[in-house]
Amino acid sequence: MRTPALLPAPVSKLSPLLAGRAFFIACIAQSLVATVALAGNPGAESPQSLRQLIDTQVRAGWDRENLKGEAQADDATFLRRVYLDLVGTIPTHDEARQFLEDKDAGKRATLVERLLADSRFAQQQATLWDLLLFSRNPPNSEATRKRDGFRQWLTAKFSANVPVDRWVRELLLAEEDGSELFYVQFQNKPEDLTEAFSRIFLGTQLQCARCHDHPNADLEQKDFYGMAGFFVRLVTLPQATEGTGDKQTKRYRIGEKATGEVLFAGNMKELKPGNKGEPVKPKFLGGDPLDEPPPPKDFKEPEVKTGTKSLPKPAFSRKEKLAEWTTAATNPFFARAVVNRTWSQFMGRGIVHPVDNLGAGNQPTLPALLDALAQEFVAHQFDLKWLIREIVNSQTYQLGSSGTARDALPKHFERARIRPLSAEEIMAALQVACGHDPAEKGSDSATPEYFVRYFGTPMNGHGDFQGSLSEHLFLNNSSNVRAFLRRKNGNLADTVLNSQEPWEQRVDRMFLSVLTRLPTGSEREKFVTYLQRDPGPGADPDAVIEEALWVLVNLSEFRFNH
Amino acid sequence: MNGNCRGPEHISRRALLKGALATTAGVAVANWGGLFSSQTIAAEAQKRGKRCILLWMNGGASQIDTFDMKPGRPTGGPFREIKTKVPGYHMCEYLPRMAVIADRLGIIRSMRTQSPDHPEGIYQMHTCYKQSERMPHPELGAMIAKYLGQADADLPSFVRMGPTGNTGSGYLGPRHEPFSIDRNGKLPSFTSPYLLPAREERRNELLLAMEAEAKQASAADVYESHRVAKERAWRLLRAKSLFDTTKEWPSHEPLYGASEFGRGCFLARKLVEAGVPFVEVGQDNYDSHADNFVCHKANMQVLDPAWSGLLIDLERTGQLEDTLVVWMGEVGRTPTINNRAGRDHFIKGWTVVLAGGGIKGGVVYGSTDADGSDVAENPVSEGDLFATIYTTLGINPRVKHFVGTRPVWATPEGSQPVKELLA
Amino acid sequence: MNFEKATLLWSMPWDADWVSAVSFIGGKHVAAGNNRGEILLWELPDAPETAPAEAAQAPSDADKGEKPLHSAPPPARQFVGHSNVINRLVSAEDRWLISASNDHTIRYWDLNAPADASAKVILNARAIDEAARSKSSGRKAPPPLAAEIRTQPAAKIIEGQEWIVGLALTHDQSALIAGDDAGTVTIYDRAAGTEKKRWQIKGWAYAVALAPDQKQAVASERFPLVFDSDKHVGLKLWDATTGTMQHDLSKDFKDMKIGAAAYSPDGKVLAIGRGGEADGNNGKVFLIDPATGKKQREFTPGHLNGLTDLCFHPDGQHLLSSGRDTVVRVWNLADGKLVKELGKPRGGQFKDWIHAISLSPDGSRLATADMAGFVHVWEFGS
Repeated sequence: MRTPALLPAPVSKLSPLLAGRAFFIACIAQSLVATVALAGNPGAESPQSLRQLIDTQVRAGWDRENLKGEAQADDATFLRRVYLDLVGTIPTHDEARQFLEDKDAGKRATLVERLLADSRFAQQQATLWDLLLFSRNPPNSEATRKRDGFRQWLTAKFSANVPVDRWVRELLLAEEDGSELFYVQFQNKPEDLTEAFSRIFLGTQLQCARCHDHPNADLEQKDFYGMAGFFVRLVTLPQATEGTGDKQTKRYRIGEKATGEVLFAGNMKELKPGNKGEPVKPKFLGGDPLDEPPPPKDFKEPEVKTGTKSLPKPAFSRKEKLAEWTTAATNPFFARAVVNRTWSQFMGRGIVHPVDNLGAGNQPTLPALLDALAQEFVAHQFDLKWLIREIVNSQTYQLGSSGTARDALPKHFERARIRPLSAEEIMAALQVACGHDPAEKGSDSATPEYFVRYFGTPMNGHGDFQGSLSEHLFLNNSSNVRAFLRRKNGNLADTVLNSQEPWEQRVDRMFLSVLTRLPTGSEREKFVTYLQRDPGPGADPDAVIEEALWVLVNLSEFRFNH
Repeated sequence: MNGNCRGPEHISRRALLKGALATTAGVAVANWGGLFSSQTIAAEAQKRGKRCILLWMNGGASQIDTFDMKPGRPTGGPFREIKTKVPGYHMCEYLPRMAVIADRLGIIRSMRTQSPDHPEGIYQMHTCYKQSERMPHPELGAMIAKYLGQADADLPSFVRMGPTGNTGSGYLGPRHEPFSIDRNGKLPSFTSPYLLPAREERRNELLLAMEAEAKQASAADVYESHRVAKERAWRLLRAKSLFDTTKEWPSHEPLYGASEFGRGCFLARKLVEAGVPFVEVGQDNYDSHADNFVCHKANMQVLDPAWSGLLIDLERTGQLEDTLVVWMGEVGRTPTINNRAGRDHFIKGWTVVLAGGGIKGGVVYGSTDADGSDVAENPVSEGDLFATIYTTLGINPRVKHFVGTRPVWATPEGSQPVKELLA
Repeated sequence: MNFEKATLLWSMPWDADWVSAVSFIGGKHVAAGNNRGEILLWELPDAPETAPAEAAQAPSDADKGEKPLHSAPPPARQFVGHSNVINRLVSAEDRWLISASNDHTIRYWDLNAPADASAKVILNARAIDEAARSKSSGRKAPPPLAAEIRTQPAAKIIEGQEWIVGLALTHDQSALIAGDDAGTVTIYDRAAGTEKKRWQIKGWAYAVALAPDQKQAVASERFPLVFDSDKHVGLKLWDATTGTMQHDLSKDFKDMKIGAAAYSPDGKVLAIGRGGEADGNNGKVFLIDPATGKKQREFTPGHLNGLTDLCFHPDGQHLLSSGRDTVVRVWNLADGKLVKELGKPRGGQFKDWIHAISLSPDGSRLATADMAGFVHVWEFGS
């Protein structure tokens, strides 16, 4: 069932304040009006599939900006990019060779299908969303830092391709085992929860409205507190702890009280002692106040003490109402926030950038496209895999990224984006590149924690990549990284050293394994020269291989997804 | 790099070609020429190689509890004033060592700024521009690294430690990105290479050759950023002994105070002495929305010896005249005390303090009203502050760069350096 | 004592600044101090007047159940001399008031001494001043609540070096213990005001208390930097005769700023309270066995955003705590259950503080220092 939408007025022509307001209202209105012509049933012969619509709209955008798009990426570039984006690692040497030698014209689409069906796809999406829901340093870290139960719960959702509206609803109800940890982060802190919730699920940054009315947006403190009202009644109830020591897992349940209000006392700066603070009734962002029946006259709220393990379900659950409203097809924010974020996963920037600030003043580069993506996503029952399939099969996604341009995240998607690999991806890529078993947690104590520490957040405050001293020292000198490169039974160094092939072919193998491409003529020559040089008396012949592999993994080409 | 070698013969040819000498660009601009009695003073500044240390008060220090006391007012709080070396001027009792050297300080009490929240405030106080998507402004350290740094030095030109800004080098490019070291001044782990130097050099040469080829194919900044960081990591390893203060620290601890921040200030002094033109040392944390007074009292007990120790040490080693020390945070704090015994963010009248580097000491510029609720005299904007900083360092505050085809200036139009502070 | 039946008898207004400390002197007098160093004394009337209908002197947004029963008596006296925050007030022999202040002094005030000078005090001066300043909002200035009072200076002044934050008496009132921001803990002979013992702790002293037998003392420590690795909090039990440490309890109360401490009248239990700003409902009371230093019990729910004060009830079976959430709680010591909560949370995201509490000698009445500018007196049923 398609939900129609109106294309918002050319908002760039309005003044910023009006534009913000207009945009805000347009978000709400879009669920109610006429449509952009698009395919009805997925898979049926269609006048224009989503992938084609993407390409058309993006190209129209280039024309408006007088830009010329980059040529399509070559097979090697596409192969590596799509592997990293879909399964969070690079292809093995054999997988790479097979793809590059395949003559089938439809091989790219076939590869996409295979990767979408790979179990690692679900893990990659779960990792991305887990990082979004918790960040690298989640609050209430004693309870939330170790969260295998949550990750398992989330990965299962992606493995079964559960529609996004369904699993988000389950997350917000927090009744399934493992799902409650999201709320546990914000134990006793409904205001913090409100900020995170609106940023993640509504793509709206509300944090300024916590302390004062936002000067530019249509956001007031009342909006913030209206949303906080949905969370103020949630209670984190610790259950029995299982296991001991390192293996100890704490379990929790989320209870909901039947009474309790958020108190609002005005602009933070003007708060004085004696201000009572008025209770604020819950109100949906950009929508109506919650229609709530009053509690029965002699209702007594059951007490919550230490050791209380559960609460009776309240007669009227604000939590349920919020979960319903958020994931409804008619919610003006949710679908847009999800598609914008998913778009940015593959294209580098959201159509609205930053990705969680779809509100005032932040114009989408391609408003019609964002609308279409949101509508079609809803029409396809929030099927994330379908959306990703369409994006990744578009020509826009498959553009090349090299050239004379300097910025890494092109605003009009005229080139593919260049983004640094995450810490998890670097570790996975190193394992695959050097021929180590990915099931191994890491050789010579190269635990994932080390990689997160040294590669974790390589951004400056502006969100741009900033090379750090620590990661280079780690790469240069750590035994953890060295463990991947040194000869070990069956790994890449071992294979190269045991091989009887001429050096040119061995160099090809190395490049294909690590960089997912063949070397250029000049590169091959350089490496062959390096590898054939006499190591000198008493020197270790294995050393040159290790050094050559070190060079490959230290190239900026390896560090990024391009 | 030996601290004595700062003469023009060590400025690289590339820097000369790029017009990195501030004088060449600066003196040509009409509205800048009036400040200097002679064209050669600017040239002298460059030749002498001025440096800058930024003491960053993360969270926003309260001006009413430090340099702009309001005794007896409802907003005054429990701290009392003490006399300082500057007649008629009083400071907080918990900065006694700073009070004794107040005649070295240029105190601006009338900062009136635009960004009240942390991310925007940190951005604006590091770049003097409002944060916006469209223009990637470089932070103060990057600008100073570009104009006062030496491109081929082993030590980076922009070092920072502790909680600091994180705006990056913006349109100045990856070459001037900051180098972050641990908050206690130590280099991160893994500073011992496992290869013999000869082998490592061969290996690194192969990497450099590969990267040079890759650069032909793609000019993206991010690759350059990665390359630059790697090369500088190698160079840094050659000079790493400088960061090890274990031997010298015990004798300096009584002066700087036994604290992490104090030790960071000492390392900053050593770095500028070795030729690093910009070091930023952050102190955590002044964001006292709750329990403002105990928070500031503890912070000041760390700050007082560290900051005064730094100035005294710089003076003692003859470096204070060439080293500008800037003390600021992202915002000031409200005169009103809230119901958490805290002070919230405040941008309508707060304090930044400068010292050394040619700044006139013993000057108290600007003032706020009786309760500190607004500037009473001589408001100073971010642009004015940066213009003052750049001018005293010999950098043209209106130096122009291009982003694509759009011109952008180091300070906004209309920014005026505070003449009363310039010697 | 029936704590369930608690009535708010009086709410004495005094809004010059935060009311930061309070103490009964005997059963008839209540003294309170504020952030400016002012101390006022009220005499509680035997035949109180019922409060007028408009309740002009109640908290401005009158909460149900929080309207005082009687009209507030005006203050009778002012104790003049301190120039900075009054951190603690304690009283002895129904006659002496002892105060600790940020002005580096401890002062003794004698109820029996003549109060020769006089002065006028406006009890709602701040409210009037604020209404005048925000004329544009149309808020009318309330009529001034004036009081003619007698003033007197301190009977004795003990000079210190830094903010004196911790102050407590032994149960028999014969010894006084003080702690300051120079990290010094000092024990005095209360009557003579002379020093008996002193020793240094790490950082600043926060809450201090001396056991009834005067052989043991507790002191909590803090150096409240934020994030910086030099920050410090601690809690230790000391041999009060030698000044040597007996037990270091810091690990059991990791990262906690212990803002209040008291020994039970029989010395068998030590109660401590977690001060602010403690996240969430974590301003808890903990009971410790002073002989071993082991934690015995913790009372939940903790005060939201931190506990400010605690005291044992003379009946030896109950304990009272106050917090940054505008409430006072009465706890049963034996089972840790909450018996009664007095007052309602007031404020927005952050509530007003009840800064300090004091019980009358027979435990029938409770006085509280309300930061919003009131001294409340409650009475428990019998």
